[in-house]
Amino acid sequence: MTDAHGQSIPEHALQRLAGLRSQGHPDGIFTSDFSVNEFLLVRKAGFEPVGLCVGSCIYHLGFQFASWGSNMELDVLSTAMYEARALAMERMREEAQQMGADGIVGVRLTVKRLEWDDKILEFVAIGTGVVHAKGHPGFKGPNGQPFTSALTGQDFWTLLAAGYRPLEMVMGSCVYHVARRGPLAAISSIGQNVELTNFSLALYEAREIAMERMQTEASQAGAEGVVGADLHEGSHNWSPHVIEFFAIGTAVLPIPGHEADDIPDPKLVLSVNS
Amino acid sequence: MALFPRNPVTPRSTEEHERRAREWEAALQHQTLPGFVAERLQQAAIGKQPWVATMTPAELLLAKSHGVRPIATVSGTCWFHYGWSWTEGHEEGWHHALNRIRCEARAAGANAVVDVRMRTLRHSFGPSMDFTLIGTAIRIERLPPSPEPIVATVPALEFVRLLEMGIVPVGIAVGARYDWLGLNNFNGGGWGNGWQGRQTQWQTSVFAGNQPLTELGGFWEGIRRDAHAALRANARQMGNGVLAHTHFGQILKREQGDKQPPAYLGRHIVVGTVVDTPRGADVPHDIDPVIDMRDGATPLKRTGEVRHAVYDTDTSEEEGSI
Repeated sequence: MTDAHGQSIPEHALQRLAGLRSQGHPDGIFTSDFSVNEFLLVRKAGFEPVGLCVGSCIYHLGFQFASWGSNMELDVLSTAMYEARALAMERMREEAQQMGADGIVGVRLTVKRLEWDDKILEFVAIGTGVVHAKGHPGFKGPNGQPFTSALTGQDFWTLLAAGYRPLEMVMGSCVYHVARRGPLAAISSIGQNVELTNFSLALYEAREIAMERMQTEASQAGAEGVVGADLHEGSHNWSPHVIEFFAIGTAVLPIPGHEADDIPDPKLVLSVNS
Repeated sequence: MALFPRNPVTPRSTEEHERRAREWEAALQHQTLPGFVAERLQQAAIGKQPWVATMTPAELLLAKSHGVRPIATVSGTCWFHYGWSWTEGHEEGWHHALNRIRCEARAAGANAVVDVRMRTLRHSFGPSMDFTLIGTAIRIERLPPSPEPIVATVPALEFVRLLEMGIVPVGIAVGARYDWLGLNNFNGGGWGNGWQGRQTQWQTSVFAGNQPLTELGGFWEGIRRDAHAALRANARQMGNGVLAHTHFGQILKREQGDKQPPAYLGRHIVVGTVVDTPRGADVPHDIDPVIDMRDGATPLKRTGEVRHAVYDTDTSEEEGSI
């Protein structure tokens, strides 16, 4: 059906609206938490969603003693926070592999504290498994496994248009105990403008460790770079001097044969309807 | 008649009120519409009454250029009491509401209902909740009325855009499941038996170190998988894909006393928009990267509107009925 403006609704859509076409789809169904716009952009990028992939891990955190006045990494907690997320991600990737996905787009990693036990955290990784619509084999992640990426559908289209493909989500975690200041140090700084160097140092060091770990993972995956890198600082109901630094991003590789000249110049627009 | 009558609310007589109440009751029972509702919708369909649409003028513009005509605002409500299950009551409640909005759309001779919003009142009338759907019934010019109008959660503007790209948003699918882990005196098909819950008790004891809770985790994943399977089974009757899910999931713990390990209740609800689209359909429009030259908030940078907020709020983990 074409009207005066040349816009048209495809025949199959009209038939479905009129209730003419059979409604059953015995050949499978995809589910996704994509918005409509994300769905369209993923499709435009040449991919089709196959299903929602979820991995979860309910984790019991061990205990570690930190002495009152020392800057130190709490490696029991660092390990716990990393392992729990890695398990959730791995389970998500297994689900993707089972449905034959080339990769997972729009992965969100969440941590939820359960009300009834402050030592138990629920980690969930959730994203949409996608396949290349024409079966292009060149989009798998490391070792032929599905790729994982934290990119939204919009970012996924843009990344491919920029000539990169996602490889793997990489992360690094460091839980750090920031030393309390002794009474003498506190007294000596009364009325003075001074930097609290041991605090600065603690934050620097903890962030650095998390970043290093993420970067190491990226280089192990054979990536050229990491996009959308983000650093989260969080305290999961721990004592006020314990902070987690968590670095996460998507490792990417250039698509062979893609030149910078292939990228169209963005248009400058000024909206007039605001 | 004056242009603005002094008293727009004509008081209804008791008989009138009772007659309408009886009609509503009969309609709910027989899954039909009261005569006066059906009449209003039919009048709007043939143009004797003005059409009513939730569309913005921009949406009206695009709808008109694509031969889409609004008819009337239609709705479906079901106030549902949870007898044996809170979780699965949600599934049933939404399905009742969906049947009712379809019923109104059929009376209006529509092909589809667009801009359907899922709503609920925040109230506390015991273990019950209202499930409400409101949307705009539309007719595509040159198409006959549909025997089963589709229910689309997208606004008219997106509906038209989607149709153009070969995607038909056809309905709302719901999947909901719950289960108990280690509940005593429970004759259902619980997860494992006899020793269930013990492992979780050891794994969460004071002396336990870093470890994934394997039993609880497996139990929880099982519920989630079942809820998603229910969603897919529900969606399969309408289309071949589900988009824009929202999830709601909870694990609750119940102490059982008598040196028994605590029991855990897991529940999971998934709601999504069902679409019908041929695999790998072409996206006819080109996508141009643009840079917005406006500073501050602009239409380009504004965040999208939330379509339904029923499962948005992170309800506290307090104990409730299943």
